[in-house]
Amino acid sequence: MDASLVFAQFLSGLSRGMMLFLIASGLSLIFGVMNILNFAHATLWLVGAYVCYTFWFLMQDYAFGLWLSIPLAALVLAAIGWVIEVVLIRRVYKRELPEQLLLTYALVLILGDLIKIVWGVEDKLIERPPLVEGPVFIFGMPFDSYFIFVILVGLAVAVGLWWFLQKTRYGHIVRAAVFSREMVSALGIPIPRIYSGVFALGIFIAGLAGAVQAPVGSITLGMDMAVVIQAFCVVVIGGFGSLLGTFVAALIVGEVYAFSILFWPQGALVLIFVVTAFILIIRPWGLFGTPTRA
Amino acid sequence: MIRYWWLGLVFIAMLLLPLFIGEFWVHVAIEILILGLFAVSFNMIFGYMGQLSFGHAAYFGVGAYATGLLLVKTSVPLPVALAVSMVTAGFFALVIGYFCVRLTGIYFAILTMAFGQMLYYIIFQWYSFTGGDNGLQGIAPPAWLMTASAYYYFTLFIVIAALIVMWFISESPFGYTMRSIRENADRTRFIGINVSQYMLINFVVAGMFAGLAGGLLGPFNRSIAPDLCNWHQSGVPVFMTVIGGPLGFFGPMIGSVIYTFLFAFVTGFTEYWPLTIGLVIVFVVLFMPGGVLGLAQSKFKTLGARDLRAGPQGPIDTET
Repeated sequence: MDASLVFAQFLSGLSRGMMLFLIASGLSLIFGVMNILNFAHATLWLVGAYVCYTFWFLMQDYAFGLWLSIPLAALVLAAIGWVIEVVLIRRVYKRELPEQLLLTYALVLILGDLIKIVWGVEDKLIERPPLVEGPVFIFGMPFDSYFIFVILVGLAVAVGLWWFLQKTRYGHIVRAAVFSREMVSALGIPIPRIYSGVFALGIFIAGLAGAVQAPVGSITLGMDMAVVIQAFCVVVIGGFGSLLGTFVAALIVGEVYAFSILFWPQGALVLIFVVTAFILIIRPWGLFGTPTRA
Repeated sequence: MIRYWWLGLVFIAMLLLPLFIGEFWVHVAIEILILGLFAVSFNMIFGYMGQLSFGHAAYFGVGAYATGLLLVKTSVPLPVALAVSMVTAGFFALVIGYFCVRLTGIYFAILTMAFGQMLYYIIFQWYSFTGGDNGLQGIAPPAWLMTASAYYYFTLFIVIAALIVMWFISESPFGYTMRSIRENADRTRFIGINVSQYMLINFVVAGMFAGLAGGLLGPFNRSIAPDLCNWHQSGVPVFMTVIGGPLGFFGPMIGSVIYTFLFAFVTGFTEYWPLTIGLVIVFVVLFMPGGVLGLAQSKFKTLGARDLRAGPQGPIDTET
């Protein structure tokens, strides 16, 4: 096995990891702040892909169509996320874990069927603009040029989220709410509004991830089912609520997948769960989490 | 025992049921029984131990595959195959549970789910042994169980026997230890009980009965598929238990009746079953916490379904 093949596999793992990070970061943010594990996260990701398809379809005569569709889809999903928080999630803050899980699980079923009603059962395919159509050659190995774009978006979201959480006033409030929502609320900051904002932000990133995913291959019903569990694994490995942890874990899972495909294709999907179970057993709070929340 | 008179009525009604309904509804009734047993076994972990297992389908699936493989590849009689299903599922629950019972809450839920998905992908890809994503076809029940009503009576007998055993476990000192672990694991530990060992035993027993339920499914459907172990299938007993009410022994069974009946009814005229059940779940979670049984208990105190949260006998009971 030569170095260029290894490098190509590394890049493919990197883009897969970035995609997982885009999905898992919103999940981790919502869990970290609101303590709600959102089963519907990947389903909203899929809705993002379909919404992006619709925008692209309407603007397909224009070269900028796809580039405009992606942010528009993310904004639509942020609005959907806000509505879901206000109408449903807000009512179960005080309930126990199983009820919260079930509510978001019910959303998976409802949204899945709504997708079927709105977009039908046929696969959707987005034609890529010329810029990202063909492969690029890196050390002589062909590599899908669109994946370069995926990696760049992943890095941009990672940096953007870090800047938001560390450098802005709202980010500070959000981080404070992770540790003590009573204290934040005692300072006169309306917790429900913070929660709505965080949920909308998380779903915004999910929508962005879905829109970025849309032109990778065809958009298919049920794509979300495997993805949501993998995103859970990423969040668990990294540690709930830790952005850095989610980033590192997403890269680990992406690379482990890319290289196990090379050596042991049947084991690629199983390996993620082996790693997740192992981490949960020896370090339930994840690689970068803090044990206090365990 | 006078407070359980309604159970006798239900039993007689179930014995007479195939005489009055068509073959389609007999099939639905068999499915209600099998999935109900699955849900009651799930509730041993959820209702009694207070932990949410999101990988309970793994033991259901292992049981289904154990019986399915034995019936397809060997000629052992069905009851033996069912016993093997229980033991195999129990063994898997022992290995997996050993790790899971060290965690609680969300971590317990995710670890059970991770193990469940691990098993799912192994079964999904192991073509030479499990048939991979093609599943197993041609699982024939023995000749004396070929008709729908014969299989119904067989399932009824097995499920009732299993429910009686589970009922005695839940009313034994062991069952009350589980309730005490649910309410406060630390205090239970202080009185000298090895909490994780008790939880593990409960996990294994729940896995065994899930395996039994799974074993019954193969000969009924004539085939099984790896989807039986998927996390989606793990959601089914959770739904049933929440709809029926997790705080009574029969809650999950009531949930199974509602869920399975609704499924058979709704899929008759629309393909949007997930949408329907999703809306039902949202409604139950938002407006009916405690499920149907919880609602019924608050309306009719005399129904006799005892609240699991109450003490050993609730109010002092002179009749029993």
